Amino acid sequence: MDFSLTPEQEMLRDTASALFSREFPSSLVRDACYDPVTGGASAAEAAFDRHLRPWISMGDESVVDQCLFMEEAGAAITTAPLWSSSALALPVLRAVNHPDADRVADGSLTATVALAGSAGEWRANGDVLKVLVTDFGLVDIVVFVDADGESVDSGGEAHVWVVPAGDLQARVVENMDLARPLAEVTRRPPGDDQPLTITEGDLGSVLERATVVLAAEMVGTARWLKETTIEYVSTREQFGKPVGSFQGLQWKLVDASLELEKAGAAVYYAAMCIDADDPDRHRATHVAKSAAGATARRWAKDAMQAHGGIGYTWEHDLHLYLRRANAADRLLGDSAWHMEQLALDLFQSQGQRV
Amino acid sequence: MKLGWDSEHELFRSELVSFLQTHAPPEALGGRDLIGTDTGDIPQWARRWQAELFDNGWMVPAYPPELGGRDADPLECLIYAEELGRRGIPRSVHFGGYAIVGPSLLEFGSEDQKAMAPAAIRGDTIWCVGMSEPDAGSDLANLSTSAVSDGDSFVVNGQKVWTSYALHAEQCFCYVRTDPDAPRHKGISVLTVAMDTPGVTVRPLRHITGSAEFAEVFFDDVLVPVENLVGELHGGWRITMGSLAHERGGLWVDGVASAERAISDLVELSISLGRGSDPVLRRQLTELYVEVQSLRALGYKGFASFAQGSSAPEHSYMKLASSELRQRLYETGMDIQGSFGSITDDAVAVEAGRWQHSWQVSLAATIGGGTSEIQRNVVASRVLGLPRG
Ligand SMILES: Cc1cc2nc3c(=O)[nH]c(=O)nc-3n(C[C@H](O)[C@H](O)[C@H](O)COP(=O)(O)OP(=O)(O)OC[C@H]3O[C@@H](n4cnc5c(N)ncnc54)[C@H](O)[C@@H]3O)c2cc1C
Repeated sequence: MDFSLTPEQEMLRDTASALFSREFPSSLVRDACYDPVTGGASAAEAAFDRHLRPWISMGDESVVDQCLFMEEAGAAITTAPLWSSSALALPVLRAVNHPDADRVADGSLTATVALAGSAGEWRANGDVLKVLVTDFGLVDIVVFVDADGESVDSGGEAHVWVVPAGDLQARVVENMDLARPLAEVTRRPPGDDQPLTITEGDLGSVLERATVVLAAEMVGTARWLKETTIEYVSTREQFGKPVGSFQGLQWKLVDASLELEKAGAAVYYAAMCIDADDPDRHRATHVAKSAAGATARRWAKDAMQAHGGIGYTWEHDLHLYLRRANAADRLLGDSAWHMEQLALDLFQSQGQRV
Repeated sequence: MKLGWDSEHELFRSELVSFLQTHAPPEALGGRDLIGTDTGDIPQWARRWQAELFDNGWMVPAYPPELGGRDADPLECLIYAEELGRRGIPRSVHFGGYAIVGPSLLEFGSEDQKAMAPAAIRGDTIWCVGMSEPDAGSDLANLSTSAVSDGDSFVVNGQKVWTSYALHAEQCFCYVRTDPDAPRHKGISVLTVAMDTPGVTVRPLRHITGSAEFAEVFFDDVLVPVENLVGELHGGWRITMGSLAHERGGLWVDGVASAERAISDLVELSISLGRGSDPVLRRQLTELYVEVQSLRALGYKGFASFAQGSSAPEHSYMKLASSELRQRLYETGMDIQGSFGSITDDAVAVEAGRWQHSWQVSLAATIGGGTSEIQRNVVASRVLGLPRG
């Protein structure tokens, strides 16, 4: 297992890091979503158009590369359909050879996926109301993945078709993360778009990419929380010394850092597995998502605690990250769900051995 | 050791319960954990309720009637806290006035200041407590807001921060430095400052929930009459934190009661979401139940020593344990909702987003009033007797 980055990958990461820190200050997302001002939403949109559309094609690149890019994205809170378009919708469209795939990849169409039904599971189902549709309101098209009212068992098939977002009946459902809107969308028949089919197995594989990339984004979110906290406790003085010199805080931060390091490594391991289509990719995805979600949520809490009163204010950016960490952990399967999938897999293979 | 209290005290309980049943306004019921810790304003019903409690001797039961009480003994005070806590009924949405300012004025104030106590306890005067400053949080003794006496008045300059209710307060119970040359703890005094005095500016700060519950307060050459000094000059360090001595034995009840309520709500929530037989969830909730119940027992054990007049080390654990426990309970409430755990939409979210909101509110519980780290330091040195680092 070689975790070393190629010079190109290092450059990709540095480029992404510079891009997000330069072009996506938190004021952008505050003006658009948290304390909306006139022109705020359009400024965020313009920044997305100018700087991120060209990167949607990352969804066609290796998963490792996309994770490197999206980890940097996670260290900045943006309101932009980047993950939805590039890690979720594009791979689904590619998997069925949908004609819109190229236009999503070249940045001319933004997209999201409507899949989860009333149970909140990212599995093909026949529910008319699709929930947890990410970035609805920011995208041009919605990719429906639906099982026509039948439950899809392994080996079953789902249909995929595209509907322009503007033609849909939808309701934005407020969630903790005001920068990544979620919506309930009523399924609409394909219309002119010919439905294509995808097997449940293929759908699962495509979603693994989206899941691991989301995990990478959460690692970036946790990393921002960690770096911001370390910087703060190193300079904030109480009792005549930096509060970071108190072991009561140090140990908390050390334990949380260990978790973050492990989660980050697990994410890139999973990304490598998917790129290599290694048989461990399924388990590795569950490990990556639950580890990344747990570390992002833990860092959000610990960062808050280590900041004291100032971190509890709306004016401080910490809560933007706290909200994102808690919302992202619950997308594409919360930790409990991924653990459950892992348990099923672990105990099934145990059974076979016996 | 025995279970239950004697009949005389149970009589007190039934009298209280019938008062609550007939008088508590609907807004005060339901145990929403936001009340008192996240209200941007002080609603009319809460003002009326506080006054009603006071007038009926149910505001601070240990006090005599003229101070909103009924000369209750420590056990009665405990019963009082139990019954309010069990129902999630707040006495007041701003604890500063009745829990900190009123008692401090009564203990340390001049006759004129003592006369201000009933209004503080009844909530007729809204008070804020100005302790924390940008450079004085955990290390309160580092405060630097200065008060220089010119004979008739103090001239106050400086800044307070995270001051709860400052936006609505008429008075500030303000910690100032009166002797910059003395050792840190010996140069602090307390002044009452009318918030409409020229030179006082309040800039609202919002919680992470968005509510403007606290604020920054700036003092710019504010003239405060010398009569407004509370207690001795340079003797302010003694006047720290709530002096509800009679109630101290029962203050923990509220945290435990809200945790107990949360557990039974979580069980109900799991069942209503069809997860009542999920073994993982059942285990999680039973573990939390074990914690709440043992914490509750510990609280009562501490009360026994308190009632006999000895110090109760148990109480030092209570804030620490119950604030951290509360965060876990509310987080579990979000987790039970699975994929929908971050949904806050009034119309769609489980219980209109109660768990998500309460969780965010609970994050302040391990910071305000002394952080969990500071609580641990206190337990280490005062309870365990460990040497200081
Ligand atoms: C909702 C809310 C309401 C509040 N209302 C009021 C109010 O009405 N009036 C008022 O005066 N104040 C109020 N406060 C302020 C509160 O009292 C302070 O936030 C608190 O005392 C912590 O101080 P700080 O924020 O400066 O954190 P700091 O003291 O800077 O602490 C930062 C971190 O360092 C840790 N730390 C500090 N010292 C040590 C140590 N010796 N050992 C180990 N760790 C340490 C802390 O635990 C924390 O994790 C409020 C705060 C909140 C969140």
